[in-house]
This record gives sequence, structure tokens and C-alpha cells, in this order.
Amino acid sequence: MKRNYVMEPPGEMKAMYQAYNEAMVELVKKNENIVLLYGDFPRGAAGEFLQKEQPDRIYDVGIAEANLITTAAGMAGAGKIPFTHCHSIFAVGRAYNQIRQNVAFDKFNVKIVLCNSGMLWTFMGGSHQIIEEIAALRAIPNLVLVSPADPVETKKITRAVTEYVGPVAIRLANPPVPTIFKEEYPFQLGKAVTVVDGKDATIISTGMMLADSLAATEALAKEGINVRLLNMHTIKPIDEEAVIKAARETGAMVTVEDSSIIGGLGGAVAEIVVENQPVPLKRIGIKDKFGQSGTIEELKVAYELTAKDIAKAVKEAIKRKK
Amino acid sequence: MVYDEKLFKKLEEKAKILRRDAVEMIRAGESGWMGGSFSQADIIAALMFHHMKHDPKNPQWEERDRLIVSKAHCCETVYAALAEAGYFSKKEYQSYGQFGALLQAHTERNAPGFEYSGGSLGEGLSFALGEALAARIGASKDKSGRSMPRFRVFCIVGDGESNEGQVWEAVMAAAHYKVDNLVAIVDHNKFQSSGAVEERINIMPLAEKWQAFGWDTMEIDGHDFNQILSALEKVDKVKGKPHAIIAHTTKCKGVPSFEHKNIHFCKLSDEMYAEAIKALK
Repeated sequence: MKRNYVMEPPGEMKAMYQAYNEAMVELVKKNENIVLLYGDFPRGAAGEFLQKEQPDRIYDVGIAEANLITTAAGMAGAGKIPFTHCHSIFAVGRAYNQIRQNVAFDKFNVKIVLCNSGMLWTFMGGSHQIIEEIAALRAIPNLVLVSPADPVETKKITRAVTEYVGPVAIRLANPPVPTIFKEEYPFQLGKAVTVVDGKDATIISTGMMLADSLAATEALAKEGINVRLLNMHTIKPIDEEAVIKAARETGAMVTVEDSSIIGGLGGAVAEIVVENQPVPLKRIGIKDKFGQSGTIEELKVAYELTAKDIAKAVKEAIKRKK
Repeated sequence: MVYDEKLFKKLEEKAKILRRDAVEMIRAGESGWMGGSFSQADIIAALMFHHMKHDPKNPQWEERDRLIVSKAHCCETVYAALAEAGYFSKKEYQSYGQFGALLQAHTERNAPGFEYSGGSLGEGLSFALGEALAARIGASKDKSGRSMPRFRVFCIVGDGESNEGQVWEAVMAAAHYKVDNLVAIVDHNKFQSSGAVEERINIMPLAEKWQAFGWDTMEIDGHDFNQILSALEKVDKVKGKPHAIIAHTTKCKGVPSFEHKNIHFCKLSDEMYAEAIKALK
């Protein structure tokens, strides 16, 4: 099984927010228009650096997500590149209108860092595990939504969204994740990455679920099933071409996300496949349920997010091929 | 402060033009927010035709003062001020609120001179705060080491709008960061969409609230140019605090028979139109 850009064996475990900060420390030195805004959120290395070196480029507005997002929009209105930092559940859940109206409506150059994104914020429980962020944000015009898979991709995304002029939301999952990609992995906003090539079916994965998706392809390969694995780091605008091509060439699909399949990556891929190249499709993700406290392993088992669940879904999709 | 009578005359005339043009827009668009648009008209006139530094020939001038109208439904007198200042042609009035129009039913940043796309209440002061903070970043310092912001930001906030919690989030943050290049002007016309502010959800005592949050606060008659100009000049001299001007106003000010009637979102009948135009001659 040939794997593209993948480290053998996987590299160090790291939280995405740490990787983001490592990239951001360099970016704030290079680009003086970057401003960091926080909603009572730990600053990380980049925030601490700015606090010391240039305190007029860092603001914490307290536990006030609505004000956080709109203040960032105002700063972008005056030519700055604000990055906002708070828990995703509160950015999306409490400041949805501010993201829609104050940021996306006028295409302001605001970068909304969705910290502790998705379902797998283990200990915190259902009130803090956001399952609907992809569905909610995907429906907002002008907004780019990205979801890195590992620390290397997190850094590449952080640099890429700084270059990109316009509103972006960045999903950063909470748990430390293994380093999957080699440093030289080429990243392009909006272009899906073929991590593994295959002909029998396609897995389309986003965010931290890439590790489990990769494990599923390995398990399936041992059974003689050769699966293509696409890493969909840009959820919007989604790489339609790659999805259609994969549907045409492999004839069966499984989407994988740490988020609700209703309107999530699963919904996005289903829309494209049904309209362009109908093939059997299964969606791995949260199935219309709220979260709960637990270890990452317990939650993955309970919500059917394991490599085993992914592999099983692939087999079911293949079985339904004509 | 002593001002030239001629200045008052000029601003009174401008305010009358803004109201008259707003009537034409509401007539053309077959709907509009006459009450709140008229209550803020004198403040808008004072800002746009005297106090603010801006250049209609260069709407994107980086050092321009910003006007953020947070109660963005009250757009007609703002549109009129921008057109009167020369940002766009008054011909645009005729398509106000219609398909494909430059002048949408709520202010949008696509129109020249516009800073802020409103419509969702309670958000404008946060946006103004962001602009004001940005004006201080990397700004040069005066002899005492105080930052000299590149521009000032004026934000019109509604009294009904102040029901929104986000207004107070912004009030708190602006005071915390001592954003003294930010001026909030509350158009305190005492009415919101469905009735009297005090009857819907009581926001009183209003000035005391702003003061308690740490703002340099004053109360004025929002239809008295002497008081408006004096207040605006005074806030420039107070450093280290954001400024709140609670402007007591009258909804639909300028057409006496419409005042105190809480005309909010309205259509203008032939009779109302004739009466408004007559009063604003």
C-alpha cells in the first residue's frame, strides 16, 4: 500500500493549538498586521510572545464571544488581520450571528480559531463538545472552513490562512494527535490530498479522524481491499473535483468526521455525489446525538468512530456497489 | 464653547436636508424607519458636516474618522448625509430598498462612505471598538507617552438596542482598554419598535450605567447644536476613558405632528408625505 507524504512510523503527539502557536510565533514576527484576540482563552506561545514584545497587538475581551468576534471584524475593517481564540462551542454557538453578519457578510479578513473543536473534547462532556459547527458554518457564504489533521498540517494551514485574504474558520481539535505528515507535504487550500490511492472505495476524512481513517485503510489492505483515502482539510470550499473523481473511479464512499453527519462533511460529500456521480455512501460521525464525558477511546467506541467502524462502513458501501 | 451663529444655521440647514432626503427615500422605497432616522439627524449632521475628519473624494483614506451607525435600520438620514457630502449621487435615493440598489434597507459597507453593515442590533459598538483599537496599534506617542490614535470612532447606539447584551460586553471591554478615541452617542429617543423603552425592558438609569462601567459620560439635548458640538469637543479633551454622550432626542423630530407618536417602521401615505415635506421646507 503506497502512502503519500506520510511519516513511517507516525511522529510525536502534539495538540493542534500548540502546533498552531508554533507557526503563529513566526507569523506575528513577519506580519505586523496580525492581531491576536482572546475570549478568556490560554494565550499559547504566540500570545505570550506578543504580550511581551508588542502588547498593543494582543487583546483579551473576557468571556464575551459575541464582542470577541465583532471587535475582530472592526479591526479587520481598519486593515488588521485579527485571529480570534475561544472554545468552538461558544464561538459558533454564541456568536453565530456575529460570524455571519459582522465577519462573513463583508468578507472581513478575520481568522476564527475554533479551539477544542468537534466531538472529541473528552473530559468536558456534551455541553462543550460541538457537533454542529461544520453544518452551521458551511451554510455561511464567503466563509472558508478548514480542519487540519495533524500538527504538520495545522502549521501549514496557519500559514496558508494568513496569506489568504478573507474570513476563515479553523477547527483545532483538543486531544494531542500523532504527526502523520512529513514536513515536505505540499499543502494547498481547497485541494484534497490523496493520502492513499486505491480503486475499491474511497474514504474521505477531515480533521483528527485521519489517523483512524489511515488505520482503516491498512486493515482493509490486509484483506485485499484497496481503498483511496482523501484528506479533506478544506471543508469549504470543498474540492468537488476530487470527490466526483473518487466516486467515479472507486464507486463507493465513506466520509469520516468528529462532527455531526447532519450537514457535516458527510452531508457535504453526499450533496456532491448525489448531484454528480451517485454511488453508495456511508457516513461515519456523530449520528444526531449529544456528547458526554469519557476517554477518547470510550467516546470513539460509543459514537462509532473507530478504525473498525470505518472499515466496516467501507465493506458495507462496497457491498452495495452495482 | 462659543460657536458662530452661522455654523448653527449651516448645520440646521443640513439636518433639514437630511430629513427631507430621508422622506424622499422612504417614499421611493415605500417603507423606512422614519422615527429613529429623524431622532439622530442632528447628531449625524454635526458629525458629518463639522466634527469628523473625512474626505468624500477618498472614502478609503486610512486616517478618516469612522461613523458606525449600530442601529443600522435608521439608515435614511445616514444615506442622505453621505450623498449630501458627495460620496454618491442622490439619484440612488430612487432605488432605496429595491432589488439591486446601492442603498439597501439596512446600511451596508458596499456603499461608498459606509463602514459597517448592520441590521443585527447590539453589534455596532463592538465593531467600533475594534476600529478604535486598530487606530491605536503602532500609533505614535505624545510627550507623556500616551498613544495618539490615527483616527476617532463615533458610534450611534439606540436606546432600545441597549437591550442587547453585547452592547454591555463592548462597554466593558472599551473601558478596560481605556479606548479614548471611541465615542458612543446614544440616540435616547425613548421608544423601540413595539413601544416605550421603559415599558418594554427598562434600561434606566442609563447615564449612570455607562458611568458605572467606567466611561466618561454626559447627557445632552440631541437636537441642540450648541450642546452637541460642545459635547463632541469636550470628549476630545478627556483622556484615558471611552466617551458616552447620552443624547435625549425625540422620535421623528422635525415633523411636529409626527413627534411622540412612535413612528418606527412606516409607509408614507400621500397625506403624511405632504405633511412631512411641508414641515421640512
